[in-house]
Amino acid sequence: MLPLLTIIVFLPLLGAAITALLPKERADLPRLVSLVVSLVDLALVAWLVLRFDVAGGLQFVERANWIPEAGIQYFLGIDGISLPLLFLSALLLPISILVSWEVSERPGFYFTMILLLAVGMNGVFVALDFVLFYVFWEIVLVPMYFLIAIWGGSRREYAAIKFFLYTLFGSVFVLVGILALYLHPGGGTFDMTVLAASTGLPTSFQWWVFAAFFLGFAVKVPVFPFHTWLPDAHVEAPTAGSVLLAGILLKMGTYGFVRVSLPMLPDAAASWAGFVALLGVVSIVYGAAVAFAQTDLKKLVAYSSVSHMGFVMLGIAAGTPEGLNGAVALMFAHGVITGMLFLLVGMVHERTHTRTIAEVSGLSKQVPVAGGMLAFASFASLGLPGLAGFVGEFLSLVGAWRSELVAPGYAIVAAAGILLAAAYMLWMVQRVVLGTPSSAVEGITDLTRLEIGILIPLVVITVVMGVYWSSILRYVDPAVTALLASMGAV
Amino acid sequence: MAYVALIPLLPAIGFVVMAPLSRATRNRLQWLGLAGVGGSLVLSFAAFAAVWPGGHEGEAAYHASWPIAQVGGVDLSVGLLLDPVAAVMLLVVTVVGACVQVYSVGYMHRDERVGWYFAVLTLFTAAMLALVLADNFLMLYMAWEVMGLCSYLLIGFWHEQEVPRKASQKAFLTTRVGDVGFAIGLAVIYLTVGSFDFDAVLGSAASWAPGVATAVALLLLVGAIGKSAQAPLHVWLPDAMAAPTPASALIHAATMVAAGVYLIARSLPIFEASGVALTVTMAVGAASALLGGLLAAVQHDIKKVLAYSTISQLGYMFLAIGAGGAIAGMFHLVTHAFFKSLLFLGAGVIIHAAHTQDMREMGGLARHLPVTSVTFGAGALALAGIFPFSGFWSKDEILYAVWHNGHYFTFLVALAAAFVTAFYVARLWFRVFTGPVQTDHLAEGHAEMLAPMGVLAAITAVVGFTALGFSEFLGHAGYWPDPAMAIVSTLVAISGLAVGWWVYGRRHLVLNTRALKDRAGHAYTVLAQKYYFDVTYDHVIIRPYIRATESLSRFDRTVIDGVVNSAAVLWKTAAEVAWTFDGRVIDGLVNGTARAARASGGALRRIQAGRVQTYLRYVLGALVLLMLWIVVKGA
Repeated sequence: MLPLLTIIVFLPLLGAAITALLPKERADLPRLVSLVVSLVDLALVAWLVLRFDVAGGLQFVERANWIPEAGIQYFLGIDGISLPLLFLSALLLPISILVSWEVSERPGFYFTMILLLAVGMNGVFVALDFVLFYVFWEIVLVPMYFLIAIWGGSRREYAAIKFFLYTLFGSVFVLVGILALYLHPGGGTFDMTVLAASTGLPTSFQWWVFAAFFLGFAVKVPVFPFHTWLPDAHVEAPTAGSVLLAGILLKMGTYGFVRVSLPMLPDAAASWAGFVALLGVVSIVYGAAVAFAQTDLKKLVAYSSVSHMGFVMLGIAAGTPEGLNGAVALMFAHGVITGMLFLLVGMVHERTHTRTIAEVSGLSKQVPVAGGMLAFASFASLGLPGLAGFVGEFLSLVGAWRSELVAPGYAIVAAAGILLAAAYMLWMVQRVVLGTPSSAVEGITDLTRLEIGILIPLVVITVVMGVYWSSILRYVDPAVTALLASMGAV
Repeated sequence: MAYVALIPLLPAIGFVVMAPLSRATRNRLQWLGLAGVGGSLVLSFAAFAAVWPGGHEGEAAYHASWPIAQVGGVDLSVGLLLDPVAAVMLLVVTVVGACVQVYSVGYMHRDERVGWYFAVLTLFTAAMLALVLADNFLMLYMAWEVMGLCSYLLIGFWHEQEVPRKASQKAFLTTRVGDVGFAIGLAVIYLTVGSFDFDAVLGSAASWAPGVATAVALLLLVGAIGKSAQAPLHVWLPDAMAAPTPASALIHAATMVAAGVYLIARSLPIFEASGVALTVTMAVGAASALLGGLLAAVQHDIKKVLAYSTISQLGYMFLAIGAGGAIAGMFHLVTHAFFKSLLFLGAGVIIHAAHTQDMREMGGLARHLPVTSVTFGAGALALAGIFPFSGFWSKDEILYAVWHNGHYFTFLVALAAAFVTAFYVARLWFRVFTGPVQTDHLAEGHAEMLAPMGVLAAITAVVGFTALGFSEFLGHAGYWPDPAMAIVSTLVAISGLAVGWWVYGRRHLVLNTRALKDRAGHAYTVLAQKYYFDVTYDHVIIRPYIRATESLSRFDRTVIDGVVNSAAVLWKTAAEVAWTFDGRVIDGLVNGTARAARASGGALRRIQAGRVQTYLRYVLGALVLLMLWIVVKGA
């Protein structure tokens, strides 16, 4: 059988090499090459999704010795938790490339960076050896750093360095955790499946390792109070960077909790659950409140991400089937919906040259398609039932309520979060989408066919997932059940 | 019976087809909405016929469900349950829905976004039908929220103006306050029963732990209070009158706002298991019935009179269910849906003709709008509770149930509310239809507007006589009105009308109620200020929240991010010191001070230029130390 996952992960690397070597004078070639690569990648992932056996556990496994002396393997595989995230990554890649179609500054380097980013994003979700996992985990930092630092806004250097150092600071703790597990006699391996299945780690040791992983993952998510790199990075990043940052990079943090912290350190996860849930709930409310006060569209969306990721954290902390299903569903939905929001904010910014909320109004009057899409994405984001965002938020809430690890008060505060989300989103819609066109909006043109084409898949997914939850949960639920069984929680 | 699924699906398909079209195409295809709702209307009659008569005996006429997800071994599904309550509600929703669609063809034909209007109206109908047919709480909640979206979109339909824009946001957020309670209630239900299905939940409610039933019932009640605009969450409904008038008729009078009542009626076993929750429901209803009625009596905007009247009438339904008269409450829901939508549609004609919503600028319309005044009159008499119009029957049943179950104080409140209702009905009537004409070129509405009003007026005139059959259909012994009760309620209604006529019906007093207001003094001020609800919310919740978000945002920038930036600066300084130490002391020992100084200067420049590698080296050092510590600590 073809090494499907290897191809999916490293095809973008091949593409990156080609775009890097293309002659500088052919400025239109890099985007074409990267689009083809990304579409092939997406097709492969789609094929993989179709071939995926819902009840089959870990699949498409590829395993080989890499550095046998240190017990490091080349070990890839995919289950129902990583599958939706891999699909999301493969889906957002061509979208990011298409939205960057007109990049004029060093297009070769730009698309090389985008494709390199894809290698890390895809890799993190399929790696099952810790060293490999960490390599992919760190790879994403470099291209994202350059995307912000070169193609970013006016404070791009500050934002890029802050992003790089802050998340690197977190990564260090991830590495600490990995090595601690490796060096402990109860662990002694980099094989993530073995670590997840083993039960020999003393609780006190688990507690400290959990703390290390927590710091690393919490910065990436980001959870309050480790979130301040996010608004800066989002505001300065080009649209494609924001889409991939919010869509995929944040999910690496929560994926880490689900893939690493819970199964490998189940006792610590139980004793940390209250604290994780607390930070989750604080993130929900704090993110929503701060989002309300923002005057910049991108910052508003960035803080809304903090709030939504808080729901994911709450679901993870709950450690119940509902909570974990909800967490994974929300990771996926947030990627799609926030992707839409950033795309639309970018498209509006291109036309009005401003992201200041006070200067943009009456979009639906002047550009009905853009305004309508923005309103749609906003309602999806505030968790309207029937659209994708609701599935995860609702299940996280129910899961938290049901959990014995999380106080019911957290679920109640989180439920109030759905009101606060409606507040900042509607307040934005009221000022930006509705009303009469402002001077910045007057005379701008509506979305092009290409732009509509970029958004349509995301709109369709938002509706389908929101109406038919099984479209994603049929993959997630069996994997979550298996995960909880291995933790001895069910 | 599989056609039952088509009842919500047809309008849903109508919306899905219309929504993505371009504005011009959508405007041309606006009839798709009516086609969808019309199809549902026909099928609803068929469904009703299948349940009638004796539908309450044995199994539901139709019950099917489709899983939408499996979570931890539990199936979550959407399911359709056709029982007598659902069958009645189907008729109400589709009849009023179809009437409003037809009426809107005339009312909205000049609007440039008429296609979108019809699309949303159609989506609303689909959601309401799904809600009525839902066989579980989760689906009911989802449909409930989609209706909220449609309500938002229609209130803000003319969003270029500020008033509708603000009203739509207020409506969505206020009802969402209730929805937070609803959502938590769902979580409690799921924890208690492990399912959202009506069968499982309602069947076991009687055996729940004491306290759980009360908690769930009160949480559901919070949701119902938001949706049905009951005190203290009623503030959004009067503002919602910024919607196009036919949309107000359907959503903010006949159907969506009644969903709260429907929810409570559906969950009645939970409320009964609690007992306390029933009393709270009754109190909320009684307060809303009276307070809403009093406010209706001081409004000048004809739509606001009707809006406060809706709050008051919905309060009547809450009161009825809380007092143990659930059937009476549901019957009032049905009669109210017809006569209140009729009144709104009539108000639409009046507003078109008079070019104003202010009743002080109207008068003498009866002679110029004959059809409207006759049909509106039927609705007005039904609202006032005059025999034989429908409101008389349902209100009488409610009063009887309240009295019969021994809630005498509530009974008095209900009577007072009935008196006020009759008073403001007379006030509205005499101000609008009698007295001097104040508008030129008064013209009756189009035929497509008058026809639905005729249908609704006819229903209003006769539907009361089904009172007995209605009760039996829902599985309760029916009874004709108690003569004594009928006499009492009719006397109250007539005296209310009479006082209204005394103040507003005698020509010379019309338009000059200053003396009355002066005599009422503070009481009038309190009413004019709508009991200070809006002002209080603004000062106690909204403004403090906005201020809090602004301070949190500052806190985020200065403190949280300040810590991060200071840490960075600190780290840099530490690195410089270390580097200097390295260069000056260690290196200096070997190479001499001069060279070391040059090296450190270069190093400083490199750090300050933000060289990532420089930081990396120090990060690595810290990493090794930390790792060792954890391994030692853990082992």
